[in-house]
Amino acid sequence: MVRTWLAIAKAEFQVLSSSMRRNRKLYVGILYALAFVWAIVLTPMIFNAVLGAIFPMEVLRPMLMVIFPGLMRTVGLFLWLILLLFPLSMALQEIKIGQWEIFLSNNVRTKDIMAGTFIGKMGLYGLIIIFLAPLLISPFMLAFEVSIIGQLLVYGVVTMLAMGTIWLSNFLTSVIQARLGDSSRGNDIAKALAMVVAIVVIIPMYGLMFFLPTLSELMGLNAFLVLPSTWFADLISWLAITFNGIGLSASQILGFSTVLQLNMAVTSVLTVGFVLGTVGLALGAADRVFTIEAGVRTEVVTTVGKENIILRGVRRLNSGPFGSLMVTNFKDFLRKAQNLSKIGYGLILAIIMPVIMMSLDIEYMQFKDLFMMLIVMMSLIGAMPFAGTGFLESKDQLWIIQGAPSGASRYVKSRIASQALIGIPLAVIPSVVIYFMIEMTTFEFVLLLGLGYAAVIGGMLTATGVTARNPNYEDTKSPAHQANIMTSVLLAEFSIMGVMFADIFLTIGTGIDFFGFMVNIFGPGNMMIGVSAIGLVVQWAIAGLLVWSGIRYLSRPEA
Amino acid sequence: MVNNGIVIQTRGLNKRFDTVHAVRDLNLEVRSGSIFGFLGPNGAGKTTTVRILSGLMKQTSGGATVCGYDISTERDKIKAVTGLLPESPGLYSKLSAVEFLEFIGALNGRNGSALNRRIDIMLGMLGLEGRQNDLLESYSSGMKQKVLVASTLLSEPKLVFLDEPTSRLDPAASALVKDLILVLAQETETSFFICSHQTSFVEDVCDVVGILNDGALVTHGSPQDIIETTKAKDLEDAYLKIVGGHVDKKALLAWR
Repeated sequence: MVRTWLAIAKAEFQVLSSSMRRNRKLYVGILYALAFVWAIVLTPMIFNAVLGAIFPMEVLRPMLMVIFPGLMRTVGLFLWLILLLFPLSMALQEIKIGQWEIFLSNNVRTKDIMAGTFIGKMGLYGLIIIFLAPLLISPFMLAFEVSIIGQLLVYGVVTMLAMGTIWLSNFLTSVIQARLGDSSRGNDIAKALAMVVAIVVIIPMYGLMFFLPTLSELMGLNAFLVLPSTWFADLISWLAITFNGIGLSASQILGFSTVLQLNMAVTSVLTVGFVLGTVGLALGAADRVFTIEAGVRTEVVTTVGKENIILRGVRRLNSGPFGSLMVTNFKDFLRKAQNLSKIGYGLILAIIMPVIMMSLDIEYMQFKDLFMMLIVMMSLIGAMPFAGTGFLESKDQLWIIQGAPSGASRYVKSRIASQALIGIPLAVIPSVVIYFMIEMTTFEFVLLLGLGYAAVIGGMLTATGVTARNPNYEDTKSPAHQANIMTSVLLAEFSIMGVMFADIFLTIGTGIDFFGFMVNIFGPGNMMIGVSAIGLVVQWAIAGLLVWSGIRYLSRPEA
Repeated sequence: MVNNGIVIQTRGLNKRFDTVHAVRDLNLEVRSGSIFGFLGPNGAGKTTTVRILSGLMKQTSGGATVCGYDISTERDKIKAVTGLLPESPGLYSKLSAVEFLEFIGALNGRNGSALNRRIDIMLGMLGLEGRQNDLLESYSSGMKQKVLVASTLLSEPKLVFLDEPTSRLDPAASALVKDLILVLAQETETSFFICSHQTSFVEDVCDVVGILNDGALVTHGSPQDIIETTKAKDLEDAYLKIVGGHVDKKALLAWR
């Protein structure tokens, strides 16, 4: 009998590994071999060497032991969120309801669809786990000198965490996809959700990077016992304690059990129960999940109303066709949930960074020192929403635009004009938040707002130019989309920061004091403001060139 | 603008994509005010030809004039006097039909109350008046096709390229588009260049037909002439005789 789940798993795996389809078996084999060498040999070796060079284990061990249970819960939460949300975010980039129709019309059991899609994903995500888990767990294994059996059991728990979480993620993805349906509106909402999911992952990531002790202390609280990630983390902690090779005393073990609250048996039951529970829930609900619904296209019909005051204002200011194009661009951009979600993502990043910088309690942290970082962040906010998607929906749309005389040029110019207006709140909101956080003077606020807006526009122009040169349409999974995002963000940021690096290298290379030269122009204490201002000039010049070549690229007939 | 009553004239037009020879030595003349039907199997080069003639794609060799303008050097002038209905709809999902048509009008340098009036009339004529303010994402493919037809005709082009204009339309909408084409050709001297697989539609509407096979123009003439020359029952039969495609019953069941 044909095992349908296996056929689905194979197809899913072929999709995920399509970039190496010419030599799939060889490449996958090499990747897995590398991953195991990394996990078993390289990571412990690197950690041993690095930690030994920076902090001898005798110094590090007491510190790691104090924060151990809380830190393990933090690491567990991070791993759990990545495993739960990363596949979810990836799957939401592309709604696959159409494939369900094929499965169901071929009389495939819903349980087999669930199992097949899950097993198909395990190949890729298993690889990620093998690369990531040793990085997070090795320090503790070294600190507690955990025996080989203990280490094997720890990796067994990590595997269980990974499989259980990916299974849950797979189930949640199917539920969301079924509710959204395969439609333009459903895809838009799914992409917006994917961005929101990314924000949820970013927050604990920043927590791990900047507030590790505080977060570990916080995660030690009993309230976090309700999180499944805590059960897995606590089980790992218990295994490390039980199989330690450093001879923990009875009082030390008692200390750990006070923090961990639940003993090893209860924790084990909870972890196993969680995995079995999610498997049972998903299989039990499979029939209800895999139902082809009408989808949002037929369920929701949005009728547009009267234009708001801003759009009427734009029409009044520019009553010609250019004004009409601007208004259309506004509507098209701001009605897409995924664009709004990208704007929100950029704003959250811009607000989180100063909060983190302020909380680090660095002595010299004043407005003038922070200025360049703030400007760089603003250029990121400018680039993010306009890079990759949101520019053209499809190649057919480009044909329509190109079908008008100088259509591509008019389109890009009007797009830039409307994006410049959208950029105003993107500069104002973080500036105002930072104004209250840093207690800057009015002049400093005006300076931040002015140069910040210039940075937002610079970032936006860079992103528009880059995307126009390499349109990826609505395909957020394509290499072109990733390239556009990375190129736009890096160019927008490094064109500003590059000035500082150029100054450093020129000062070292030529012996001429360029920083002194800057101080002479902008005044003592304003060097970073000066470097930022010159950086913005460079950024605008690069962005201008990119837009010009982008327009030329879009305008020229296809070869 | 029109060269001696000729609206399209190609001279040895060729287009290659790597190893694929999409259009081969195409020599074609289309008279002003005529409705030219371009027939051919999938991948024959019809869409490529339309894209070259409408200034969206470069030819590999050869040349052509469209409405008297050279396709190599006067593409913007060609775009100003032609309209193109692409093969698949590239509409903006988050705009309404009215907003999309306003966008197309603005791209062609038009706006204001005259444009809005024209949009209202066109949408009414195509039976979309009740849905004209709904976002296009909620439209069926046939409704989207109607919006595209309206966008193609909005700027009153002298020559209209229609790539599969009725492929997604129901019979009533197809008849409406057919009548619209005939009226525009008769009353306004608008020329049409129509790519289609639907031989019955082409037979009913077009006064001249060209059949393209494997990139080369294999037949050219009025539908009646082609039918008579090939001793066929109708244009579909003639098409199958020219291009091939008659399959016997045994072959149809050979896969079992």
